[in-house]
Amino acid sequence: MNLEYLKMSPLEKFWFRFKKFFRRLPSAFAAFFKAIPKKLYKLLLAFAGVFVNIGKAAKEGDWKTRTSFAVMGFGQLCRKQVLRGIVYLLFEVLFILYMVFFGWKYLVKMGSLGEVAVVTGKDPLTGITTYTYYDNSLLILLYSLLTLFIIMAFAYMWYQNVKGNLLSQQFTEARLKLPTAKDDIHSYADKNYHKSLLAIPMLGLVVFTILPIFFMIFIAFTNYDKAHMPPSELFQWTGFENFVNVLGGGVTSNSKVFAFTFTEVLLWTVVWAFFATFTNYILGMVVAIMINKKGVKCKKLWRTILVMTIAIPQFVSLMFMSQLLADQGLLNNLMLKWGWIEKPIPFLTDGTLARVTIIIVNMWIGIPYTMLICTGILMNIPADLYESARIDGAGPIRAYMKITLPYMLHVTTPYLITQFIGNLNNFNVIFLLSGGNPPLDMSGVPTGAGKTDLLITWLYKLTVSESQYGIASVIGIFTFVIVAVLSLILYNRSKSVKNEEEFM
Amino acid sequence: MSEKKKYRSKKGAERASLVAIYTILTIISVIWLVPFLLLIVVSFRGEPVGVTADYVFPKQWSFNNYVKLFTETQFLRWYGNTLLVSVVVTVVQTIIILATSYALSRLRFKLRKPLMNLMLILGMFPGFLSMTAVYFVLKEINLTQNLFGLILVYSASSAMQYYICKGFFDTIPKSLDEAARIDGASRHTVFVKIILPLAKPIIIYTVLSAFIAPWGEYMFSSFIMLGDPDKFTVAVGMKMWLDNSSLMSQGYFSVFCAAAVIVSIPITALFIWLQRYYVEGITGGSVKG
Amino acid sequence: MADVSLKHVYKVYPNGTKAVNDFNMEIKDKEFIVFVGPSGCGKSTTLRMIAGLEDISAGELKIGDLIVNDMEPKDRDIAMVFQNYALYPHMTVYENIAFGLRLRKLPKEEIHNKVVEAADILGITEYLDKKPKEMSGGQRQRVALGRAIVREPKVMLLDEPLSNLDAKLRTQMRAEISKLHAKLQTTFIYVTHDQVEAMTMGTRIVVMKSGFVQQIDTPKNLYNYPANKFVAGFIGTPQMNFFEGTLLKTGDSVTVKFDNSEAEITVPYSMLYKARPAYLDGKKKVYIGLRAEDVSLAEEDIKSSKSVIKIKVSHKEELGSETLIYGDINMDSDGYGEGPTRIIIKDSGEHELNAGDIIDAALKVERIHLFDKETEESVLPRVPEYNYIDCEIKDGKLKFFGAELELPNAVKCADLKGELLIPTDAISFDGDLKAEIVSCENIGGVNLLALELNGNRLYAVSPECIEGKTVNIGIDFKKITVISDGQAKISPMPELNEFACKFVKQKTKDTVEVNGKTKKKKVVHFGFTVGDTFFEASDETSQKIFAALGIRDAFTTALKMECGAYHLSVADHGIAAEAKELLDYGTEKFLKCMIGDSAVYVKCDEEYNGSVCLLPDFEEVGIVETERDIKIV
Repeated sequence: MNLEYLKMSPLEKFWFRFKKFFRRLPSAFAAFFKAIPKKLYKLLLAFAGVFVNIGKAAKEGDWKTRTSFAVMGFGQLCRKQVLRGIVYLLFEVLFILYMVFFGWKYLVKMGSLGEVAVVTGKDPLTGITTYTYYDNSLLILLYSLLTLFIIMAFAYMWYQNVKGNLLSQQFTEARLKLPTAKDDIHSYADKNYHKSLLAIPMLGLVVFTILPIFFMIFIAFTNYDKAHMPPSELFQWTGFENFVNVLGGGVTSNSKVFAFTFTEVLLWTVVWAFFATFTNYILGMVVAIMINKKGVKCKKLWRTILVMTIAIPQFVSLMFMSQLLADQGLLNNLMLKWGWIEKPIPFLTDGTLARVTIIIVNMWIGIPYTMLICTGILMNIPADLYESARIDGAGPIRAYMKITLPYMLHVTTPYLITQFIGNLNNFNVIFLLSGGNPPLDMSGVPTGAGKTDLLITWLYKLTVSESQYGIASVIGIFTFVIVAVLSLILYNRSKSVKNEEEFM
Repeated sequence: MSEKKKYRSKKGAERASLVAIYTILTIISVIWLVPFLLLIVVSFRGEPVGVTADYVFPKQWSFNNYVKLFTETQFLRWYGNTLLVSVVVTVVQTIIILATSYALSRLRFKLRKPLMNLMLILGMFPGFLSMTAVYFVLKEINLTQNLFGLILVYSASSAMQYYICKGFFDTIPKSLDEAARIDGASRHTVFVKIILPLAKPIIIYTVLSAFIAPWGEYMFSSFIMLGDPDKFTVAVGMKMWLDNSSLMSQGYFSVFCAAAVIVSIPITALFIWLQRYYVEGITGGSVKG
Repeated sequence: MADVSLKHVYKVYPNGTKAVNDFNMEIKDKEFIVFVGPSGCGKSTTLRMIAGLEDISAGELKIGDLIVNDMEPKDRDIAMVFQNYALYPHMTVYENIAFGLRLRKLPKEEIHNKVVEAADILGITEYLDKKPKEMSGGQRQRVALGRAIVREPKVMLLDEPLSNLDAKLRTQMRAEISKLHAKLQTTFIYVTHDQVEAMTMGTRIVVMKSGFVQQIDTPKNLYNYPANKFVAGFIGTPQMNFFEGTLLKTGDSVTVKFDNSEAEITVPYSMLYKARPAYLDGKKKVYIGLRAEDVSLAEEDIKSSKSVIKIKVSHKEELGSETLIYGDINMDSDGYGEGPTRIIIKDSGEHELNAGDIIDAALKVERIHLFDKETEESVLPRVPEYNYIDCEIKDGKLKFFGAELELPNAVKCADLKGELLIPTDAISFDGDLKAEIVSCENIGGVNLLALELNGNRLYAVSPECIEGKTVNIGIDFKKITVISDGQAKISPMPELNEFACKFVKQKTKDTVEVNGKTKKKKVVHFGFTVGDTFFEASDETSQKIFAALGIRDAFTTALKMECGAYHLSVADHGIAAEAKELLDYGTEKFLKCMIGDSAVYVKCDEEYNGSVCLLPDFEEVGIVETERDIKIV
């Protein structure tokens, strides 16, 4: 910390930090990429370690251990660890059954994604056209992925089995007591409790989040769209075509439109997330401070009034608001009747106004939430801080700027980051309020997206109404990358995340 | 003498600021309440006017919309659907979140940090993207257009919402665990007998958030229940009304408002009742001092 | 009700920091042991290792007769009191105390009786139905104690239990914990950073600093005989005064000169018999330590004392019963900073003093402590390790203190003048030299004999106190060192031979008796190889190795074998070694051999040449992990 810095005015300080942050950004990125080879090397070592262990088991293992290379759990069964042995064996049997009767036939088609989609024929008796469906690219992709996952899981289990067998052999040789089935079961309530706790959550995560994400990443490399809809049509691998199209390098005119739409929507998404997060945050805090001020009565009443917006399902209030603010909505009608305006204000139909409206409505929804959180923290700010500020002659605004805001920022950074990320992907507010409208044109050409569309609502439109799955996946991947980069930067800037626990 | 004057002026300033605060708070309250009052008022509107009305108070006060809601529409069914989904999801999700949070907060194992990073990264993926794949997975096990499928989708990935709950567990002193382990408790006993009883606020917070979410969720439910109005949740069904302009012109806007009121009342009541714990839970969990 | 023994206990964190280094201690049943030291010194970590809340990186921890290294805390039969009490907030006091008993599934009646009894002992019966939140700090502390004693553990562990209480309560609880210890007759291990707590409660105190044990002793000995500057400064308030200075011996007295000051005092040489002569040359820097209570301003003391110095007063602190006077022995300094010339004096407070006054103060020289400036170790250890003697070697004869000894072959050396280092345990009582016995005292289980050889002081340790006026002594030549011109001309034979070894397993087909039938069966043996030689290890030894290194890494970790010269012998089989020469130390002969690159010494009377086989006595062999230097067996 240099003394020059301490002398600066707040504005200069901000500018200094701002500059420093961006000056450091390249080197931070460089460091990140420099770390990759090291990480890869580590990974490689870990992999090498796996093979070394397998080799060791093959070399040092006795016949029981070696048999368990083929018959999983054999060694354990021989060494009276019946429970473990049975579990391994059962796993192997199930795996083989799965591969033989299901997994294999999809896996072999993964390269081509199927050859014949449908064969039409005429029923010789009735003369009705019949359709016989064969390969469904979608299912082939999905199930071959699933099979790959299962193979990986099996490989892991097999490795554990080999390692475990060697270990129990070593234990027996060292005349150490092997854990019995009872010990094993007990350990799942104590030493291995994390496995019991996390098994089901992780299974759900793998099947319903990780597998689908991989699936969509693969879809981004195919031409899955309206013209290639299984089961009646196949789709094929197309490499990076979709990526090129979205970035505007494609040959079709569509490509330019996509690129344009993507930049527009992306910009608005970031702007939206920024404003949605900070307006709520600052104003919510102000409201909380007002309610918590000494001498203000009926604190509970004020709070409850605001809290009702959280309690009432968001979709209700959002849909209601969208009706209220429509061109022929109640608000416009009333104002017309009272003669305040001459024609309806396009709250949700004019591009810029719609954006402003949405941010304001979002404040209406979000402020109570922030208020609630801030209430708790405000009570935790040590009173002597304020007292010393008062003695130093600080007024309420100064006290707010110098004490409340820094303290809150310090304490709530993780919350702020999650809010920001959440807003980047905020589907409900946009979709239910404006539906993304008004439409966004590129010099007269309709783009399919709207001026208030976020990346995620645009994605929804692309898939649900336009069936542009390939393109949508690419945009999804970009969205992910943007969100990931932004949040990683934010996370790394916030110290409170790093100090998850202090080293004792 | 001068001191007395200063004293008075200080008191005056205090009073002025209080007056200002009361004024602002009143205005805010009005802004926040008016839409809801409107909602209620419109729900009692007797005449079949659509959105285009240019007056607030109904020309005819009536319960007709409510009657209509329960007799002519499938609302009751949707309500039941949503309630069922909510209750089951609440139970499953709460268990999953508590288990995950405890494991990540208190137990030390090799994959702990990687797992947390993984969930952080997964959380950045637009959830909607995985929808198609989820849809086909569900279809293959015959769970599309099925409430159980929806429950599965809602609760399967709940582990990712561990963050606030883990934050709360982190604030419970570690020495309690240690004392209990010296007293003879296994990790499971520590979880059940020590941590859970102390985690009441965060449990209530988790339960409340889990319970409310299905009522407002539109994206997944509309996708999974596509084409089977019998299986709609309230959000999907009511959005359908709004999108249908012919229904709207028949005064379904008022019915919509009536439905909204019916949906809101129990949740609001629950919320106001448990507000204290909710606040405790979220401030305890989302905040690191 | 059990002994606790820690042998070579280490705590190494994954990032490589060593929180606890080679902790060795035997705690006897019913002792009240206090671990004390500044924060981060490893005292809490040690306690938590005993509790089982931290893994032990290496070493052996025994409670009673059981090795508990890998035992879960609940199985160790210990109880612990935490700094923040760690009471379960959702349970009443009764439930808190009963929790451990309920988990152990004791009958309800018994639990009730025990809880009520414990509550009665601690005087918290009336709060039994209260929640911890409704109680004061002192009451909570009692509940925490109750929860610990109700289980009647073998060992009570207390981790800074009083540091959250206010001063008055702390004093009161201190007394109560001592009382509790007397009543329960259990081993107590108590961690604190407060030296007053340590001094008042402990039967023995362990002073620690940055992971190392500094001194283990009774409170009184710690105060009177601190082993190094850290202990001296840590124990006692106000802190001991430290000055820098030099010692110069002239005749029978030694001049102590203070740096940056005119001050100078003389002390009789007899006080410094135990010091190495090198300190007395007037050049080597030492720290001079003197407690505030050992400086007197009383007039009669100043009149009668020979060691009076001038002090410039800077300020004073009135404590009521006494006054602390801050001053400086450097007349140009102000005495506020904690410099090497600042002095604090405990005074009765009768003197009228003002800042800037220059006064006389008498030092109690017999209470002076001296520490080496570099190592900070005491210059006057209670049991000196060596006798440092000026000597001369001429024609193969060692001359010192007017005595003359023939040097044996092994330590033959050219003529020189230098310093002779005789370890105190290298003096035997069967030689030709006649020495007078001056005194014999027992210090911490060791008998230190002060001898006079031709009017010169020698120290020796002996197994028992020798009665009588004179004794015949001899010198064990294999332990002596002679230094001349800064070089060791004669070096002692290393006490422990070290050589690399490996832990291995071997499979053999043995005939084993199973159910009365003899059968050929594959048997796995574990053992050590040195070179190509395999020694089977006992089961106990292998278990220790597995416990310390893990079953997978045990065979790949580099190990060292440690073994004294008496526990190696030349045999017809064993470790292949190269015999170098036979060293004759007069009474004993040793064979110097090479195992690989490491030299070893073997007790042996015959001359060998070329290859020999060496056989260690495995009862006495130590195994050390080379990389981390941690003793396993």
